[in-house]
Amino acid sequence: MIEFDQLTKEYNGIMAVDDLCLEIPDGEVFGLLGPNGSGKSTTILMLIGLIEPTEGRCLIDGVEVAKNPIEVKQRIGYMPEDVGFYGTLTADQNLDFFARLHGMAKTDREERINELLALVGLEDVEKKVGGYSKGMRQRLGIANALINDPAIVILDEPTANLDPQGVADYRRIIKEIAEQGKTVLVSSHILSEVSRVCTSIGILSQGRLVATGRWEDLARIPEGSTSGEIRINVRTREAMPEFSNPEIISVEYKDDRREACILSHSDIRDYISDTVQNAGTGIRELSLDRDSLEDFILSYYQEP
Amino acid sequence: MHMKSGALKVIAHKEILDHVRSRKFLLIFGIFLIISMAGLVGGLIEYQEQLDSYNDRLSVVSEDEMSYAPYWKPSLLTIFYQISMLVISLGGALGIAMGFDLITKEKESKSLKILLSNPIYRDEVINGKALGAIGALLIALGIVAIISLAIMLIFGIVPDADQFGRMLIFGAAAFLMIFSYFAISLFMSTISSDSGNALIYSLIILIFLSTLLPVFAYGPVMNLVAGVPPEPPESLMKENMELVISTSGTIVSSEDGSGEYVEYIDPNQEEWDKFSEKSQAYWEKRQAISDTIGLISPSGNFQKITMEVITSASVMPMYMDEEFEKDTSLGGILSDLLQNIIALLVIPAIFFGAAYVRFMRLDIR
Repeated sequence: MIEFDQLTKEYNGIMAVDDLCLEIPDGEVFGLLGPNGSGKSTTILMLIGLIEPTEGRCLIDGVEVAKNPIEVKQRIGYMPEDVGFYGTLTADQNLDFFARLHGMAKTDREERINELLALVGLEDVEKKVGGYSKGMRQRLGIANALINDPAIVILDEPTANLDPQGVADYRRIIKEIAEQGKTVLVSSHILSEVSRVCTSIGILSQGRLVATGRWEDLARIPEGSTSGEIRINVRTREAMPEFSNPEIISVEYKDDRREACILSHSDIRDYISDTVQNAGTGIRELSLDRDSLEDFILSYYQEP
Repeated sequence: MHMKSGALKVIAHKEILDHVRSRKFLLIFGIFLIISMAGLVGGLIEYQEQLDSYNDRLSVVSEDEMSYAPYWKPSLLTIFYQISMLVISLGGALGIAMGFDLITKEKESKSLKILLSNPIYRDEVINGKALGAIGALLIALGIVAIISLAIMLIFGIVPDADQFGRMLIFGAAAFLMIFSYFAISLFMSTISSDSGNALIYSLIILIFLSTLLPVFAYGPVMNLVAGVPPEPPESLMKENMELVISTSGTIVSSEDGSGEYVEYIDPNQEEWDKFSEKSQAYWEKRQAISDTIGLISPSGNFQKITMEVITSASVMPMYMDEEFEKDTSLGGILSDLLQNIIALLVIPAIFFGAAYVRFMRLDIR
């Protein structure tokens, strides 16, 4: 479990992180969302012991980071936002160096490095890391974060420099990690990325945690406010059934009721899908307007 | 005290490999090696010639006791003179090249965050870097020593125990001087925002310590601290002038027409003695200040140590006034050079200590 207990960091009178209290249970894929400068990276750097908190503390499995940094670092894998390696070494030489710092035996290192390079798609790259693109370095960063088979994986803006294939690979890797029961903390300012991989999120704004919870709970829109927009297209000539769900704010039918735009308080795509299929109608398209959802999440942000 | 995580060895090993693979290290070391070996061969040829000449003259002395014997037996150590000059100029550059970007490069390449997120203590990183530099430097100096010995053996010269000891002192002093500049540049690397600035600051210090400091030490700073040299009293100066006019050529002693020596007795001898004493005290003070200022400079300390080690190895077999004799044994030399040796140990310790403290407090963002 990851715990932030009244964590505070002040730089020259500016609160980078302000009284953060948060618990992330084991096995959770947690997204730390927030605009640039909201304190996400500072929070993570305090969690891995690279920055000392002004006040408060971070704990991993009950072990306080500031007091037992080595014990904590043995349990975590970390990839920074601006990931960097030793440019004069190859990927496997870099990973070998970090694996040695974890005290891994030679045979274990070789096996693990080959496995991880294959996982991130760098197994056939022979050149030195100095010649890598940012995306390749990011892939190597993910491999490095997993080198010691950590119980907790911390990724700071993991998709920042990845190409579409890299992003797809990243999602696959996170899914695999989550299936192994590891705890994953992902920091990002890209809502769509967090929403795809995380089971719960916390929203930081100006150093303060303004919202936290499971994704579906947070996506529930406060009474009276604008909702996300769900679009549905049906395959047949038959009309769309009536929808009756307390979450629905309004339904607008188009094209002889073969298309509908539904405004709701929350993501009720499962309900819509079930209702349409129970009526014997095939669904051609069912989508949630992400922009609307993003606007909703952004309403939590208090831009400076 | 915390338990060590064992990462020190891993980091030091990587640092040694980084140094010996680094282009800047190889380039400076390569230039140093080529020039010093060329100088060594030249020095050896010259030494052989001097030795042959010395032996020739010795054989003449043994045959004809009236002929002049040579004053100095050439010393094998003189072949290191050129190398010592090279160590002063290129050694400083090598030390700086090894250290100026050790921390800034980690920051610039963004590898510092990843490195420190591993289960290691910060002091293992900075200590590992220092150990790596020591290792690389020992390898470099070891190569120079082995090649030097090999060349000497090719020339049929086998150093005796004393010469070997002096060579070791020379090597140790060279190591400490280069390591001093390494420690200075490592410190600059911890306080600078980027490698460019760290290099500039390190070079400024190198130039100041190796070139400008002696100028300051003998120039304005010296005059400020020691004052102006004492001048002889005016009365003595006036008398002197008269003496010169009236008894030219007979002030100390002269030979008259009869072949007898007439010694001039100065009536102001006491005043002369006082002036002489004052003057000697002044110049001694000046020398002491100069020596003290010189202790700040690793290059100056190295130069003093090597010069002493090289020149004191020359043997003056005869016609030497006992008054001028000094202990030229290794123990005697080390005793004379104690403060320079201590300075060569203290300077890197101070800068490494400062780099250590700074790195331990570095905020990684």
